[in-house]
Amino acid sequence: MSIKTGAGAKTPPPFYKRVGRKVWLFFNSLKLTLAVMLTLAFAAGFGTVIEQGLRPAEYIRAFGPKWTSVIYYTQVNDLYHAWWFTALLALLCLNIIVCTFERFPPKWKALLNQKPSGKFNARIISNCSHNNTIILATELDKAREKVLAVFKKKKYKTQLTTASDGHYIYAWRGTLGRFGSDIVHISLLLILLGSILGGFYGYKDNKIVYEGDTMTVPEAPFQVKLNKFWIDFYDTGQIRQYNSLLSVMENGKEVLKKQIWVNEPLYYKGIRFYQSSYGSAWDRIKRADIGLLKKDSKRIKTTVSVDWGKTVPLKGTPYSIKLMGFAADFAYDNATKTVFSQSAETKNPAVHIEIYKGKEMISNPWLFLNYPGIFPAIPDSEDDLVFAGFTGIMYSGISLNKDPGTNVVWLGALVMGLGFFLAFFITHKRLWIYIKSEGNSSEIKIGGFINKNQFALEKELKDIVHRIESD
Amino acid sequence: MVLSLVFFSFSFGFYILAALFYFGNWTLKKKWLGQLATSISYVALFSTTMILIMRAGESGHAPFSNLYESMVLFVWGINLGYLILEYRHKFKAIGAFVMSLAFLAMLSASLLPYRFKSVEPLNPALQNKWHWLVDLLSKVGLEKYAIGWLDFHVFTTFVGYSAFAISFGISIMYLIKNRSEARGGKGGLLAAFPDSKMLDELGYRTIAWGFPFLAIGIVSGAVWANYAWGTYWSWDPKETWSLITWFIYAAYLHARVTRGWRGKKAAYLSIAGFLAILFLYWGVSFVLPGLHAYA
Repeated sequence: MSIKTGAGAKTPPPFYKRVGRKVWLFFNSLKLTLAVMLTLAFAAGFGTVIEQGLRPAEYIRAFGPKWTSVIYYTQVNDLYHAWWFTALLALLCLNIIVCTFERFPPKWKALLNQKPSGKFNARIISNCSHNNTIILATELDKAREKVLAVFKKKKYKTQLTTASDGHYIYAWRGTLGRFGSDIVHISLLLILLGSILGGFYGYKDNKIVYEGDTMTVPEAPFQVKLNKFWIDFYDTGQIRQYNSLLSVMENGKEVLKKQIWVNEPLYYKGIRFYQSSYGSAWDRIKRADIGLLKKDSKRIKTTVSVDWGKTVPLKGTPYSIKLMGFAADFAYDNATKTVFSQSAETKNPAVHIEIYKGKEMISNPWLFLNYPGIFPAIPDSEDDLVFAGFTGIMYSGISLNKDPGTNVVWLGALVMGLGFFLAFFITHKRLWIYIKSEGNSSEIKIGGFINKNQFALEKELKDIVHRIESD
Repeated sequence: MVLSLVFFSFSFGFYILAALFYFGNWTLKKKWLGQLATSISYVALFSTTMILIMRAGESGHAPFSNLYESMVLFVWGINLGYLILEYRHKFKAIGAFVMSLAFLAMLSASLLPYRFKSVEPLNPALQNKWHWLVDLLSKVGLEKYAIGWLDFHVFTTFVGYSAFAISFGISIMYLIKNRSEARGGKGGLLAAFPDSKMLDELGYRTIAWGFPFLAIGIVSGAVWANYAWGTYWSWDPKETWSLITWFIYAAYLHARVTRGWRGKKAAYLSIAGFLAILFLYWGVSFVLPGLHAYA
């Protein structure tokens, strides 16, 4: 006769519950934590060995076509954003969440609402890794008062149970230290949550703004104007700092003015503005100096400064000049018949002007700073115009970042600090003390457990014993 | 320039002597050698502190901005951490290993090419001071002593590195001692080592110090990066390797929760962790380019 076939056998839980239990246990396991962390460490390290984000041709040159296809198939070229890497990170998060759910609530109940069972078995003391016995030449109740006073002074919580055979004291402190690891885990989740929030509800953008121009800000009821960009130098000539002077404009009115630099963003209504790059404009300038001379002479008779987009009369002549365009590194595209700048450097600066005689436009040439007079500016005339100099415009590269998760990340960082402090520097000490009468004196037995740092307990016990023995 | 170099030369000498005397104390078992070694270590700590202070005076900013300065900070951390350990637990044999590490670090700092050593003004990306601190200190006219994210980030990270260096020394001692214990060896040179259980616990304790500091170093770096550039994390090689070391030590700490991973396996993990730290610190700076190339 087998017991198993008896009528009292439990019906097995339904299939989905068993699977659910198994999945839960899988995510709850410490082995998973270790496996995932070490795999992540290895994979992340691999990502620094294979250069990330190259073009296919470069991978083929370095690894050959066969390995390149492997690299693309496994997304090793963008490893940190590969689905499997993200999945590993998600697995670690699930692991943390499940472990926290599994461990935190029971611990909380057990530790904070603890009701020590009163009288305990005195053998618990001799089972402790650290224990001491003291003989005190006083009667039982005085010994008890002494012990309680020492523990009170050392900020222990105590619970006293008096029985016929003596006093039983349970003393403990540092309970919060047991929650340190949970708090660190929660802080990791908070930091992650913050960065995900930022990813979903925020945005990043890069803008180039010329001095004097105003940029629009996405999803915001204001604009930002760049008043000025400049670079500070140390005496040695090294760059000290890049600066932009920004104004926040609302309905055409300036509501805030702030100088930003690297490490010092402007923050306005949830959006940060960072100094990220700079340069001089390649398609515009502040003003150009145009000189007038006779075609057969090299000597400039008069010059005039023309502001961008403005028309200025050339004194003593019938001409006026309008500044239309600029190219820092002049190039001409024959197919589209357009002028462009082939680089951002001022290798071959040229201005586009319109020349008026009275009201009538007589010519609209490009003039070259490096090649004065190669093309006559005014057809059929003794007079010629040359491009004599210019004042450029700086632009400032501003990164925009709207990140509603920042505060959550901050909170997470603070919580993490607290968690580490509790986890590593607050130890949970539990002591059991049994005092019994031995003739005219009392025998005190003390034993204790600590959750970590055995040395600390050893030292603590020594100190407690010393305090009890001294007067 | 001059004074910090003078202190550097002195410190170098002190670290050679300290390491030698700790070795002497361990092998010759002479007590006075141990006492001498400890006193020299205190002198070396003072001298190293003076390098940092002089350097700060010469450059006008906290001395955390290039490889050389960070090496001195690293050595300072190792020395301070070791002296605390010795004061608490009185095991001078550990000094032979840990102070040799400090000496090696000094040696490598002195061998650095000039461009890693020179006093440089801070480049734009590193100039950061906490506003609240500047405001607070400006009330008493001391605003130039305000610190910021750079100082906090580098300091916490290097406290972590130093603790890991000490635990590396202890883990090696553990492996040696454990092998001799397993063979039943009792006397000889290894008698001066703490027993293997103690070494295991000490290794854990030092990592328990280093881990939160490294974590706070990483998080403060991310928070700073977000404040200064608008991104928390860009998988720059230094960031990636810091995460790798953090995972290794996190694995170490979690593995201790299960019993089987104390002792030998833990010691190997601790050694692996420190090798990763070395790569994070030197390998990344020299081999892999990135934002942190300067330190």
